[in-house]
Amino acid sequence: MHIAEGFLPPVHAVAWSAAAAPFVIHGVRALTREVKSNPESTLLLGASGAFTFVLSALKIPSVTGSCSHPTGTGLGAILFRPPIMAVLGTITLLFQALLLAHGGLTTLGANVFSMAIVGPWAGYGVYRLLRRFDVPLMGAVFGGAFVADLSTYCVTSVQLALAFTDPSSGFLGALGKFGSIFAVTQIPLAISEGLLTVLVMRLLVRSSKGELTRLGVLLTRKQSQAAQAAKGAQAAEGTEVESR
Amino acid sequence: MLPIDAAAHSSRWRRRHPVDKAVLGLGLTVLAISLPPWPGAALVIVTALTVLLGPAGVPPRRLWRAYRIPLGFCVSGALTLLVQVGAPEGFVTLDPEGPARAAGLLLRTSAASLGVLLFAFTTPMSDLLPRLVKAGVPAAVVDVALVTYRMSFLLLDSMTRIRQAQAARLGHTTRAATWRSLAGLGATAFVRAFDRASRLQAGLAGRGYDGTLRVLVPEARVSPRFVAAALTLLAAVAAVALTLHHVLERPLG
Repeated sequence: MHIAEGFLPPVHAVAWSAAAAPFVIHGVRALTREVKSNPESTLLLGASGAFTFVLSALKIPSVTGSCSHPTGTGLGAILFRPPIMAVLGTITLLFQALLLAHGGLTTLGANVFSMAIVGPWAGYGVYRLLRRFDVPLMGAVFGGAFVADLSTYCVTSVQLALAFTDPSSGFLGALGKFGSIFAVTQIPLAISEGLLTVLVMRLLVRSSKGELTRLGVLLTRKQSQAAQAAKGAQAAEGTEVESR
Repeated sequence: MLPIDAAAHSSRWRRRHPVDKAVLGLGLTVLAISLPPWPGAALVIVTALTVLLGPAGVPPRRLWRAYRIPLGFCVSGALTLLVQVGAPEGFVTLDPEGPARAAGLLLRTSAASLGVLLFAFTTPMSDLLPRLVKAGVPAAVVDVALVTYRMSFLLLDSMTRIRQAQAARLGHTTRAATWRSLAGLGATAFVRAFDRASRLQAGLAGRGYDGTLRVLVPEARVSPRFVAAALTLLAAVAAVALTLHHVLERPLG
């Protein structure tokens, strides 16, 4: 869900741009460092950006029978990390505004904040948390994609409610109004995007193990052996403490 | 190629510097959101349409096809302003001020969208992106954006052909088949993107790639006359809008 061009009052547009700026600058610094130390990564990052753009153009069937587009923020954050996604997401949103008339330039800051910052960070946080608790990869991917999608829409609801407060019940009433409209359509869509992301990841694990390992999604043999050894050592320590 | 970018490549104003077109198009967008919607945004709509269909030479059908997308979002967004929640008359009731607020929002978003469309329909991305370095955007980000832009069309083209092939093999006949096909499409996009990147890298390495993508940008100079005319037009629109607003607000008699 992109906030359309001119939808937000000027003060809100500037405020959301200012809120998004530190995250985008942080991402730009991370990307510049990466490109300086590894010049060929420009092409891989460009490919990642193109993948994000194309992914957001896929039409997924919704539970309600209609079609919608995935945000792609969950999968992007799991594959490329949130700081890089802040930059790739900004580039994607700029292209969508100028090439597809989706979103806008005055609302770019607000859209970047919800889709390229909050969505990826929330999705990635849930994914890492689930992985830490030994949830299988596909379960964690579903959780990450679901939360990334849903959090994006929650932030969009807040942005709209702040801009268009309800005349009777103020901000909370407007939040309820926008939130309930989104809840009907977006909870099924978030589930759909979670499922689609799992299916894509399953195919990627089969066909692109090398790339996933390079991106850090899958562990190398050495890393997984080290992780297992560390777990074994922890378990042994636990048993020792119990026996004492 | 996407329709807006294709139109920009064959636009009458293609050879103009992006700054010229940004001053006019994005200036109209700024006016649309900062002037009172009535009559400010309405004047911006008239001005933008006149420039788009007149001097810029954008075909009306192409413009309508691109414009109806943001217009749809604007209408659905404005509808929510028609109701209010938690009023003494009932939990959800019609807001008496709603139609005026919705109409104002509709005018503002329509006018702002037309301003951006004026810029997008006359400025190809390939002319804009390399020049962003001069505007202070780090070269590394511009290079990534350039690769993203060029690779997106190849990927979109591949996706269209894969979707056709999936449909020909009954890949969209049932819900389960649709999901399988979609997952295949997403995964293939990833594989193809990374495959193209590694092949591009091998090709560039053979040509002495040092981490900087050098592209030829069509020569164009900022036209002081065009910029001055654009600024005069913007100032005139703002002045007329504010005067009319003042006159319309004044009580009769």
